[in-house]
Amino acid sequence: MSSAFAVDRAFAVIAFKRRLAYKTQWLVGLVLGGGAMLVSMAMWRELLSGGALSGYDWDAMRAYVIIGFITATMVFGAADWQIADRILDGHVAIDLTKPVDFQRARAAEYIGSMCSTVPTVVFGVAGAWLLFDPPGPVSVTAGILTAVSLLLVFPLAFGITYLTVLVCFWTKRYLGVMWLREALLGFFSGMMIPLAFMPSWLQAIAWALPFPHFTTTPSAIYLGHVDTAGALGLLAAEAAWAAGMWFGARLIFNQAVKKVTVHGG
Amino acid sequence: MPILEARNLTKTFRRPDKASGFKGAVKHLAQRKYKNYTAVDGIDLSIEPGESVAYVGPNGAGKSTTVKLLTGILRPSEGTVRVMGRDPHTERIANAHDIGVLFGQRTQLWWDLPVEESLKLLKHMYGVSDADYKARIARFDELLDLGEFMPALARTLSLGQRMRADLACALIHAPKMVYLDEPTIGLDISVKDRLRAFLRELVDDGTTLLLTSHDLADIEEVCERIVVIDKGAVAYDGPITQLKAHYITTKAVKLFLEEAADVPALELKYPQYEWAAGEAPSEVVVTYESARFTTAEVLGGLTAELSPRDLSLSEPSIEDVIRRLYAGELTK
Repeated sequence: MSSAFAVDRAFAVIAFKRRLAYKTQWLVGLVLGGGAMLVSMAMWRELLSGGALSGYDWDAMRAYVIIGFITATMVFGAADWQIADRILDGHVAIDLTKPVDFQRARAAEYIGSMCSTVPTVVFGVAGAWLLFDPPGPVSVTAGILTAVSLLLVFPLAFGITYLTVLVCFWTKRYLGVMWLREALLGFFSGMMIPLAFMPSWLQAIAWALPFPHFTTTPSAIYLGHVDTAGALGLLAAEAAWAAGMWFGARLIFNQAVKKVTVHGG
Repeated sequence: MPILEARNLTKTFRRPDKASGFKGAVKHLAQRKYKNYTAVDGIDLSIEPGESVAYVGPNGAGKSTTVKLLTGILRPSEGTVRVMGRDPHTERIANAHDIGVLFGQRTQLWWDLPVEESLKLLKHMYGVSDADYKARIARFDELLDLGEFMPALARTLSLGQRMRADLACALIHAPKMVYLDEPTIGLDISVKDRLRAFLRELVDDGTTLLLTSHDLADIEEVCERIVVIDKGAVAYDGPITQLKAHYITTKAVKLFLEEAADVPALELKYPQYEWAAGEAPSEVVVTYESARFTTAEVLGGLTAELSPRDLSLSEPSIEDVIRRLYAGELTK
């Protein structure tokens, strides 16, 4: 293992341990995450009891909700507050005296932090599978491409989270930025309701943004709403957004770091 | 060749210019106004390898801002900085490898983890070998008693323990250039003494040190050179001994007499000295110019005449000099 990866690993381990340091918070997150999925399942079963809506029947919706649960855990389980607090209280000054790439270090922390959500995903998905018996992917190819899409959600989620945290350099507050991000993400990703339920103009707006790749892309591939070529196109777009946000964040950080104004010690 | 060189270093911040009260807040919302505030104003500073430099000034003088400019955290509005030949802001990562930084008011420990975990992460960040890490931890333990709180969560440490752990964090990679911003703030005397002894060892080992502190004992015990800044500009830069020799021109002796001191009579009899009443009626303080009179000369005459039961000699401290520099009573 090269020394750069050893540093990444060390950051990831520290972030993981920090999440576990607050066991009650972690357990509450696990229970709430699983509970939200169960409530969502119950609601959709009721809504779809009369038949399919906008192309989603109860079978498809069971898989859709589980995929949405996995991606929501990835996005909302991040320890973004810890980075935001460091920017807001001036501890970022200390980070800037360390010989590490700030963004890469935060990405490593993000991965470590995400590892603490693995039990939530495992217990949640296993429980949902036992209770609701969702259908499998439409094909082996679709299953593999869904897994690729879910893996791409990691860099995509980090990009969105990190970019919103960087906004703190200008806003000097995080709460409002975080609420805005979560509202946009919940709505335009399809986590709240599938995009297919929205008017076409709203769907067009959503697809011009990175958000649909958080839930709609992996579920569309899994359920066979797109063919293989369409799935590859969606994955290319998802990867492009992830790469674009990574490099875009670098440009923004270079500007943000000029805004550091840590006064008084 | 200097290890650190700053030329015309200037940092200007933009601050909102907002009137107080509700009206001011509404007005600022509609029509935003800002004022420029110069925290560091054209500072020139050159430090040679192995020097120990005290960087002092009153609150708001620009000390911490200068440290942040020198460490690459802030970008200068004007002027240049070179640390070991590098621009610390644009070459931040390369520069960070060779410097150690401690901000007394901000910890670099991971708050919710044991101290040991923070040090291990820093070991990886700086690429410190296992052997060097063990040797340095052993040395820190010997000098700072680090071992007693290595397994403790950072948030459970006392201020003194936290500062010692932070110092270990700043030095774990044996940096060539160390910046310490208020390293003894809030510490009790015994911890301060240990930290100062540790810093003296560090300087003796050849580490270059820039120290900011309001505690002038830190400065006198650790540093050889002093840079005094006020309102963002350098008010004095030179050896501490020279500052004392230049500005400390008088000495004082307190005499403890057997009976009440008659200050007016003493003033008449010894007009070459300055006389002042002490805290008790039997105490009197005589001040004389050190260039004109030797202490032996002064004491010889006075002890024969007044037969004091005791006496104490005091030299004005560097603190007095700096206080007068701040007050503008002294010039460069």
